[in-house]
Amino acid sequence: MTDVWINGTAMVQTGRHYNLNMDEMAARVLDEALKDAGYPELDALFVASATAEQADRQQMLGTYIAARLGLDKVATYRVENADGSGGSALMAAAMAVRSGVYGCVAVVGVDKPNDVLSNQQQDIYSTATDSVYERYFGVTPAAQAALMAKMYLSKYEYKYEDLALWPVLMHKYGASNPYAYIRKQAKIEDVLDSELVSDPLRLYDVGPMADGAAAAILCGRKGVAKVLGMWSSANAVPFNARQDYDVLYSAREAAERAYRMAGITPRDVATAEVHDSYSILGVLAAEALGLAPRGGLLASLRGGSEVRANLSGGLKSRGNVMGATGVYQAVEVVWQLVGRGPFKRVDGSIGVIHSMGGVDATSTVVVLGL
Amino acid sequence: MEHESVPLYWRNIPSYYRLAAKRCRKCGEVYYPPVVKCPRCGSSELEDFQLPHEGELVEFTVLRSVPTDYMKQKPLVIGLVKLGPVKVLGQIVDAAPEKLKAGQRMEVVFRRVVVDGKYGLVMYGYKFRPRP
Amino acid sequence: MRAGIVSWGAYIPKYRIRTEDIAATWGDDPARIVDLYLVYEKSVEGYDEDAVTIATEAARRALRRGAVDPKRIGAVYSGTESKPYAVKPISSILIDALGLANNVFAVDMEFACKAASDGIVAIAGLVESGRIEYGLAVGTDTSQGEPGEHLDYSASSGGVAYVIGRDGVAAEFETIYTYNSDTPDFWRREGSPYPMHGEGFTGEPAYFRHVVGAAKGLMERHGYKVSDFAYAVFHQPNGRFPMRAASMLGFPPDKVKPGIVVTHIGNTYNASALMGLARVLEQAKPGDKILLVTFGSGAGSNAFVLNVTDAVLERQKADVPKVDEMIADKIYIDYAMYLKNRKMVKLFE
Repeated sequence: MTDVWINGTAMVQTGRHYNLNMDEMAARVLDEALKDAGYPELDALFVASATAEQADRQQMLGTYIAARLGLDKVATYRVENADGSGGSALMAAAMAVRSGVYGCVAVVGVDKPNDVLSNQQQDIYSTATDSVYERYFGVTPAAQAALMAKMYLSKYEYKYEDLALWPVLMHKYGASNPYAYIRKQAKIEDVLDSELVSDPLRLYDVGPMADGAAAAILCGRKGVAKVLGMWSSANAVPFNARQDYDVLYSAREAAERAYRMAGITPRDVATAEVHDSYSILGVLAAEALGLAPRGGLLASLRGGSEVRANLSGGLKSRGNVMGATGVYQAVEVVWQLVGRGPFKRVDGSIGVIHSMGGVDATSTVVVLGL
Repeated sequence: MEHESVPLYWRNIPSYYRLAAKRCRKCGEVYYPPVVKCPRCGSSELEDFQLPHEGELVEFTVLRSVPTDYMKQKPLVIGLVKLGPVKVLGQIVDAAPEKLKAGQRMEVVFRRVVVDGKYGLVMYGYKFRPRP
Repeated sequence: MRAGIVSWGAYIPKYRIRTEDIAATWGDDPARIVDLYLVYEKSVEGYDEDAVTIATEAARRALRRGAVDPKRIGAVYSGTESKPYAVKPISSILIDALGLANNVFAVDMEFACKAASDGIVAIAGLVESGRIEYGLAVGTDTSQGEPGEHLDYSASSGGVAYVIGRDGVAAEFETIYTYNSDTPDFWRREGSPYPMHGEGFTGEPAYFRHVVGAAKGLMERHGYKVSDFAYAVFHQPNGRFPMRAASMLGFPPDKVKPGIVVTHIGNTYNASALMGLARVLEQAKPGDKILLVTFGSGAGSNAFVLNVTDAVLERQKADVPKVDEMIADKIYIDYAMYLKNRKMVKLFE
């Protein structure tokens, strides 16, 4: 099997891109990434998006992105796992290269949730929950995350003020990331005073919906960073039937298997980008990745430690670019490993991406190394 | 004129109206939502199982950022309620959130869930409220 | 063997609005309104409730009270004047909501507030002819009156369901009588959001003529005296009409008061007299005779003589909410919440 290397990366600042169609926005960032890779011959395009069909009414987005660049006869694949589409597309692309079928492929993540109203954004996001048994009754990912937050805080005897430390840290990191949507620092009072979204989660606990596009080029030939391990795992137990609500089962499994493939332990991880669509999920993801003991992350934040996760600012600062998130995470981790601006080079050579669909419905973990 | 899918609602009436679950005939495990094969023992022999219409509140949250169908009913109280052998996610109604407590007894009620505009179907289903 | 009520179930939504809060909004003198109608407060459905959900809750309770196997129900007839659809019955929804068999006669009845009792009559016939074993008659309404108009002080929401059969009867139908005519005292045209009514015309030519006509007709034809009855339950559009009808017939107030529920929940239309009957059944003794007279505008009345049996004692002990418990289980709302709950605020469609 062939080694998989990331040869080129690009991303755009997230936020509101009212003036750009999805395919154009994606095409532009794809071209940037191809240029970054030295314009290799592209065999396939893997497109990650959570809103292409529902917000912009476009199927087969890959074919239209290819059309905007004149990339004729390229294979196009549409990968969808809600807001975990990015990680899934990344892994699908990596498997395609590893198999030897393709020489160079591109992963593009693009989403434009700001093309629709906020209530419509919740409608779309809710299709990540069980449509018949959850979405029908008004359950949203925010409500599910909130239930987990309540039970986690109660089980480990934390106060909401402890959970608020996560968004404060995320905004601290995000303040120095010009690609992020929200670059304002947050004081703990800002978090505590912000409006309730689904108690106990407040505005600062929720990644704001943002438009974005990012791309990575994966090839069999040597590049900037290598894919050392990868795994994707679904949690087949419906939310209501889960045993414990203080653990992300899909993230835990994906991390264990990806680390095993890469031959690493959590101690080796120099940087990680995790899926904090809601603050509590970021906390649980960091614990699932072994960056803190189960139930212990907030205690260590409270004790003054800073977790080496989400140097980009995570979904708090970057915003929730839905399906594009996983591709942004890949670009950011690569730049953090090599020390490409705005990121300073991290102390170590291993980086991890955790991309998740829904509230622990499915997770992909990819381990990258120099 | 567009309207919501009728078959999609109609075929789920046993769940929506009566909380019809599935029980594995071989190992006795109960599943809601219903499954096709028993995740525990792998058997395909599943029988209908009616969930009790009473139970206890596990946890709840007051959701303020609601989807379009619920904009005139916010906030929604979303609760996880244990009904017999399973937990079910759903709305809690007729109750002030300040008075709700994990562990309290709940009952199932039959309510409107979604109304498809002025001319479409009125869709019903289960919700929960505190048992007096 | 005569058919009769095997079991009953009622449902009253929790919300209440006080007459004085409605009056304050529309510039009426609250004291005068309360004195006119003797309705102090009325029940209001929740935003997610309607005649269908109310019918379902009442019917579930009726089945539970009598421990009746839903699969043995052979008919479900719903009487209402506030169903969500002009075309699509409540009764068919009840089949699936209650887990009835498909081999069940099902239809909705319309005769203003009398329709549910027409369902009782029809089901009694099906039972006595031996065509079905048990039938379910449901009265349910979330009726409205035009805002700012007097009807809105009493128009309220509630439902009652009766399981009727020959086996396990708690109150037997000894006699049934009816009195109808074309009397347009109150009506609602297709597509109209609110009914129209004739104010004073709704009294003498309508309610009293038919209620008293039916009661007198029944008593004369079958030789009953007022003293035969322990209770008299009448349709209750307000707190005054049933008492006056009772007095016109010679019934002393204390035989009528136990069946009066309108003063604190308003007029639940198809559930009105039937709710009064349910309250009476919850306190009646074996051997009691009950006179029940319903009324529907348009106009007509059904009159029933019910003989309470020993089986009523078992039903009274069932772990099912009683009418008085439901009347007391309330949450007050203001007029703005009233308009919102009743979907009387203009929104995008």
